[in-house]
Amino acid sequence: MKISVNWLQDFVKLPPPIENIAERLTMAGLEVKKIEPWQNKKDTLFEIEVTSNRPDWLSHLGVAREISAVENLSMQLPEVDKAANRPMPSGWKINIKEAEGCPYYSGVLIEGVTLSPTPDFIRERLEACGIRSIHLIVDITNYVLLETGQPLHAFDADLVTGQEIQIRKAKPGEKLTAIDGKPLELKPEDLVIADSERAVALAGVMGGKDTEVSSKTRNVFLESAFFHPRWIRQTSRRYALSSESSYRFERRVDPEGVDLGRDRALWLIQKYAKPRFISAVIRAGRKPAEVNNTIHLSETLIEKVLGIPIKSSQISLILTKLGLSVTKDGEKSWNVRIPSFRSDLTRPIDLVEEIARIYGFDKIPETLPERAPLFKPRSGLTKLEEKARHFFAGAGLNETVTFSLISERGLSRDAELKNAVAIINPQNKELCWMRPILLTSLLDVIQHNLHAGIRDCFVFEMAHTYAQGAREKSPAEDRVLAFALFGNWKPKSWLDADRKAAFYDLKGIAEAFLQACGIRNFEFVSRPQSFFQPGIAEELKIGPDTVGVLGEAHARFLSLWDLDANVYFAQISLSQLLAHVNWVPVFADLPRYPAIERDMALTVPDAVKTNLIRTEILKFGDGLIHNVHLFDFFRGGRIPKGYKNLGFRITYLSRERTLVSTDIQKLHTEIADAVARKFQATFQ
Amino acid sequence: MRESVHKVQREAESQLASILSAEDLEAFRLYFLGKKGRLAGLMEDLKACPPQEKRDFGREVNELKQFLETSYESKKEASGLNPVQADSLFDDSLPGIAPLAGKIHPITGTITEISSIFERLGFEIVEGPEIETEFHNFTALNIPLDHPSRDSFDTFYTASGHLLRSQTSTVQIRVMQNRKPPLRIIAPGRVYRPDTVDASHSFMFHQIEGLMVDERTTFSDLKGVLNLFLRELFGSQVKTRFRPHFFPFTEPSVEVDIRWGKGWLEILGAGCVDPAVFEAVGYDVKRVQGFAFGLGVERIAMLRHGIQDIRLFYENDLRFLRQF
Repeated sequence: MKISVNWLQDFVKLPPPIENIAERLTMAGLEVKKIEPWQNKKDTLFEIEVTSNRPDWLSHLGVAREISAVENLSMQLPEVDKAANRPMPSGWKINIKEAEGCPYYSGVLIEGVTLSPTPDFIRERLEACGIRSIHLIVDITNYVLLETGQPLHAFDADLVTGQEIQIRKAKPGEKLTAIDGKPLELKPEDLVIADSERAVALAGVMGGKDTEVSSKTRNVFLESAFFHPRWIRQTSRRYALSSESSYRFERRVDPEGVDLGRDRALWLIQKYAKPRFISAVIRAGRKPAEVNNTIHLSETLIEKVLGIPIKSSQISLILTKLGLSVTKDGEKSWNVRIPSFRSDLTRPIDLVEEIARIYGFDKIPETLPERAPLFKPRSGLTKLEEKARHFFAGAGLNETVTFSLISERGLSRDAELKNAVAIINPQNKELCWMRPILLTSLLDVIQHNLHAGIRDCFVFEMAHTYAQGAREKSPAEDRVLAFALFGNWKPKSWLDADRKAAFYDLKGIAEAFLQACGIRNFEFVSRPQSFFQPGIAEELKIGPDTVGVLGEAHARFLSLWDLDANVYFAQISLSQLLAHVNWVPVFADLPRYPAIERDMALTVPDAVKTNLIRTEILKFGDGLIHNVHLFDFFRGGRIPKGYKNLGFRITYLSRERTLVSTDIQKLHTEIADAVARKFQATFQ
Repeated sequence: MRESVHKVQREAESQLASILSAEDLEAFRLYFLGKKGRLAGLMEDLKACPPQEKRDFGREVNELKQFLETSYESKKEASGLNPVQADSLFDDSLPGIAPLAGKIHPITGTITEISSIFERLGFEIVEGPEIETEFHNFTALNIPLDHPSRDSFDTFYTASGHLLRSQTSTVQIRVMQNRKPPLRIIAPGRVYRPDTVDASHSFMFHQIEGLMVDERTTFSDLKGVLNLFLRELFGSQVKTRFRPHFFPFTEPSVEVDIRWGKGWLEILGAGCVDPAVFEAVGYDVKRVQGFAFGLGVERIAMLRHGIQDIRLFYENDLRFLRQF
């Protein structure tokens, strides 16, 4: 909100420099974001930010009141017209039919107004505050709103049918065209001002076009009322219709300000619009009583919350300056009466805050809590994430952070999105799914980088995936680790040739990571997935648990994302993996005797899965086989079609003695025979 | 010993100490042991020496020779200063072959750094769900449904009637519902608000929430802890100010600014936990008090690394990521 310094000077005399006052207001919680000169320094404007708990600051009078408290200056109130002995208007009456929405309503009939031009000071102040001057009567209502914070509304009395003003719920389907020209179809939850025939204003939000004052207006009905914040807020949000009035009503106006604002407007109208006749004020309802207008405050609470004692004299001075009336109630406690404009103050803690902010937060010392240690071990998930983060960065993958909300692109509602959580009010219509898998997010990263000219992309991310829970239950979230490889895993250099990333790089990273987690009993099991290429998809299993999936992204993704090389993708559930992590590996004694290595080159049909052979070899050996390593894989050339050539290096090792070749010759032959029988293998 | 022999010996001793390279060693050899070196000179003197002194002088020159040769050989062995020709084909200026090394994202890196500061102060890292209930995101935090204080918390809703948390404060509610004080926790995580994405806004970003609750934690403790944290993160010279503000879930509430160039920059929000929040989680408001704070991770990472556009964090351009 913009505040005119000239206007403030009507109520408090501000000692220069103005910057210091702005600074002190900011440090008292009324933030002055900007100070700017207006029209060749004719005026100075404060751009203030008012928090939602302080509607009383949404006016010049309110800001002046805060300045008078902070700076200890005396206040001058604006001039008002309180003429009480005017005649009642003939026939006019107010009928409140919805007392919760409108507890208090007042109106005045003003007849025979002269529409002279708006005085310069009013026009300039309105313009400085960003409000266009329209018409003397409207300008005065706006002026009073900015001055006192009380929204007013002026109807053209001659366009109002009948003489009864009703404040009621809208009838279902009732229509109203607002001043901004917007046709509205109202709901019974809306509060309206109505004449004997129809709604003429959306209460507290906007007037109706039909009864708007204009240059032809001679007779005015001026409204000043208290509308319930919730009613105004709901209507304002329902029609996305916000005004200076609704902004203040939904934050709660000062009940006493209803009369003040009206009487201030009457004074200005009397002076500048020179009406022939102003009738007496007619009223209905009662001003809402404060929830708790006396608060009991004990000094011990102040010290308990702030950490320092504040002197009694200072407490009473601060509260008094703020417009609160303070009376002692015993040795170290007070009864504090809250004025009508401070509806935010309802509890002792609210007063502690008032005292602290005026006393100055900067004067409260810094202390470090001296407490017994409160040791809580790091959660396993936090530790596992940290381990994974360092492992994957060390392995050459870059960590990403991508949006949890994704579009449907590449995914199917019958498969990947089957249990996905949908957002009903997405900010971007496309991004309306809470992702069940990180694949498409990492594809976006690969694509972005490819467009930027970076052809090799190895990335990982740790984030949640989301799934719809069973009926009535909260959606389920899982912490996962996803990683993807695209492009050349080995870059070309002057020393080495390049090599494209392969499924086996992905698998190797997964294996190495599990080993880094101290896990040995894992296995990869072929299992198709809707998002992987047929046959290039595995599940990562630890015992009976499936902890992850890995494979080559389905060809549909490559065409949708316009990628020219395969993407290898894996996703591991960290929450599931956690149960298997071995945080403190137990050292196995180093071998004392030398090992013997023997190679076994064999040719087997293509259909034989290599790992089965490896598993078979490991079954032998009376504990002498230390390791079986595949060092060669070959197809084509002299190998017949339909066959592949495999080279295993078997490491034999005894923990009791030095092996000699005769020890293992027989064993090696037995293994060869067994493999030959089982897999129709032939040897080189 | 003759003065001339003695002098050469001393000279050799002093030069030995400063031999650092193969070139130095070779110069030493040439100077003392070379054909026209100092030893050869003494040999010439020996020839011209009177016969009665020849025996002693000869012995001394011989001892010097042994000394020089032994020193030379041991220096050569000890330092590997073999004065052989370098391999002229080896180009040491060829570029190194770097191992593949990835980087940690600046967001998670910043979270780790901030968390570790609080961990050293005895705070525990906790997490909570991102898909939340109305109660945890609003009601328990003293943010009524139809209240303007809710305007700054626009929220995504799911079809099941849940919402995406718009703040990590939800985690303090979850922890307090399940545990008794004393508590010292920090909760980093993703939060969501339907903002239009631009250079300084995103519909998803990260926050870190902190909470300390026991029987006597005061506002001055809040100042002490947060100042300690900010000095650790931004350097011991950083200037801070605590500016009164409003949050529905704390009272008194502050925004903490740090001095940045000529002005002040808001860096976090904090305050003493509002009694209404304690009531919502079933704590006895007369027996507990504490403070809470919340900070935006992106904002801090942007300030510290000089990043102008928040979108860079989520684009994951490798040219960006590799800089951290």
